[in-house]
Amino acid sequence: MNQKITILTGHFGSGKTEIAINLALKERKNFERVAINDLDVINPYFRSREVASIFKQHDIELIAPKDQLASSDLPIVSGEIYRVLHDPRYRIIIDAGGDKDGATALGQYYHEWKGLEVEMIFVLNANRPYVSTLEGAIHTIKEIEKASRLKITGIVNNSNIGSETTLEDIEKGFELSTFLSKKLEIPLLYTGISSHLEKTAAHFAENHEVMWIKRYMKLPWES
Amino acid sequence: MGKVLMKGNEVIAESAVHAGCKYFFGYPITPQSELVAYMARRLPEVGGLFLQAESEIAAINMVYGASSTGARVMTSSSSPGFSLKQEGISYLVGSELPAVICNIVRGGPGLGNIQPAQSDYFQVTKGGGHGDYHIPVLAPASLQEIVELIQDAFDIADRYRNPVIIMGDGMLGQMMEPVEFTERPVSELPEKNWAATGTRGDGGPKIITSLELDADGLEKRNQHLQKKFAEMKEKEVRYETYKTEDADYIIVAFGTVARIAMNAMNKARQDGVKVGLIRPISLWPFPEKPFIETRDKVNMYISVEMSAGQMVEDVRLAVNGHAPVDFFGRNGGVVPTQEEIYHKIMMIAGGIQV
Repeated sequence: MNQKITILTGHFGSGKTEIAINLALKERKNFERVAINDLDVINPYFRSREVASIFKQHDIELIAPKDQLASSDLPIVSGEIYRVLHDPRYRIIIDAGGDKDGATALGQYYHEWKGLEVEMIFVLNANRPYVSTLEGAIHTIKEIEKASRLKITGIVNNSNIGSETTLEDIEKGFELSTFLSKKLEIPLLYTGISSHLEKTAAHFAENHEVMWIKRYMKLPWES
Repeated sequence: MGKVLMKGNEVIAESAVHAGCKYFFGYPITPQSELVAYMARRLPEVGGLFLQAESEIAAINMVYGASSTGARVMTSSSSPGFSLKQEGISYLVGSELPAVICNIVRGGPGLGNIQPAQSDYFQVTKGGGHGDYHIPVLAPASLQEIVELIQDAFDIADRYRNPVIIMGDGMLGQMMEPVEFTERPVSELPEKNWAATGTRGDGGPKIITSLELDADGLEKRNQHLQKKFAEMKEKEVRYETYKTEDADYIIVAFGTVARIAMNAMNKARQDGVKVGLIRPISLWPFPEKPFIETRDKVNMYISVEMSAGQMVEDVRLAVNGHAPVDFFGRNGGVVPTQEEIYHKIMMIAGGIQV
C-alpha cells in the first residue's frame, strides 16, 4: 500500500472509527509520521477523539476539535488538516462521519486532493439496517460519492454484530461485499474481523485478506 | 429476521414501528437525533407519517392531536427538549390520551452538555408538569430490553389511556448492540371507542379535553385518574434482582449504570463481600417489594446514579428506616466507573481504610 491518504466512509455505525484507529496503529510501524483526522460531524459519542491517549502513546497525531469543542454539539472540523495534507512525510487517515451527511464534510477539500494519492474506502457492515442489501449499499455509496465529490476506490467488509459476531455474519457480509464489488467494479480490499474471533475465523483468514481489529470504543462495563 | 447491529436510538424507533406506531412528531436534539432521523426514513416505508415540528412544544401537541384519533403515536427528546414538553404531557394525562414519550437524558441543568446522565429522574417520576398525576416510566438497560419495553409502553399507554415515558441516558441512545425483533402476540386491549374520528350518526360528538370548569366535576375526574394510578401502581411494577438472597449490601441502580454496577458487584463478591443488586425497570411505579423482602436482612443499601442523588429518595421511602441507605453518584455527564463503585462498596464494607 503506497496510498498517502486513506479516507474511511460508510453507513453510520459500520465500524469506520475502529478501522481508522487500527489502521493508524498499523501504519505507524511503516511511517515516521501518521496523522488521524477525526472528521466525524455526525456522532456525538464514540469518535476517534475519545482515544486520544492511545494515539499519544503511539506518537500518532490526532487532528480533531480540541478541548471543550471536542465534546460540543457543533458540526466543526479542525483546520489543522492543512498542516499535514501537503506534507510528504505524513501518512494520513481520515475518519469521516456516517452516510452522506458525514461525507459532506469531505466536499470542502475537493481542490486539496489534486495531485495527492487518495484512497476512498467504503466500509460495509451487512448487519446494519439500510446497507444489508445490494440496493441499499449501492444507494449509500452513490449518496456518499455525491456529497464528498469523490469516488469510492475500495470496499472493506466489516460485517459484525459486536460481541456476538459469528463466522456466518462475516461470510454473509463477505458475499454481499463481493456482489457489491463486482456490480460497481470497485475492488474489495479486505475483511475486518475482531481479534477475539481469531480462532473462529482462522480458516477464513487463510483464504482471504483480513485485518484483525482490536476494539477501542468500549462501554464502561466492558473491560 | 436474525440479529442486527443497531444504535439504541434506532432500536427505540424500530421497536415503536414493530409496536404499530405509525406517527412520530419530534424535534432533533443530541443525543437522541438518530431516533428522529430513523423515523423520518422508516415511517413512510410502513405507510406512516413523520413530521419534524417547529419545536418540542409543537411536537407534543401534535401527539395530542394524533392520539385523540386513537392512533399509536410517539415523540422523543433529550432533557432540555423534554422539559419543553411538560405542559403537553400534563394535558395528555388530563385528557386521558395514550402516547409514548422518550427522554434520552443528557447532562444538566440548563443547556448542560450532550453527555449521558440520569438527572431527570425527579422530573420523570414526580411529574414535570402541573396537576395531580403520575406517568409510568420504563428504564431499559440494554438494547434488547428496549425492544420489549417499547412494546410494553404502548400497551400500558393504551390500557390506561395515559402517556408512558421511556427514559434512557445518552449512552444507551448512542451505543450499539446486537438486537433481534421478535414478534409477540398482540395484547388484549380495550377498544378505543373514545377516539374522535368523526360521528356517523352513531352517537353524540366525542370530546377530548382536560378542561372541567366545575370544581366538583374536576374533583371527580381526579378521583377517576387516581384510581387508574392506583391500578398502575399495583400492576405495572417491573424490576430485576441479582444475588440479593444472601446479600449483606445491596446496590440499587437502573439503566446502563446497573450494568456497570453489576461488574463492581461481582468483583466485590470475588473478594468475599456479599453484594446484591436491585435494578428498578419501572421508575414509577417504583418497586417496593424487593426492598420489603430484603430490608430487615441487609446491612446497607447503596443507590448508584448518574445524578447528584435522586432515586436515593425513593430507595429511602421503600426501605422506610429499616436499614441505612447510602449514595454514590457522578453527574454532569460523567459516567461512574466500575472501579469507583467497587471502591465505594469496599469502603462501606470496611475493606478499605482511608
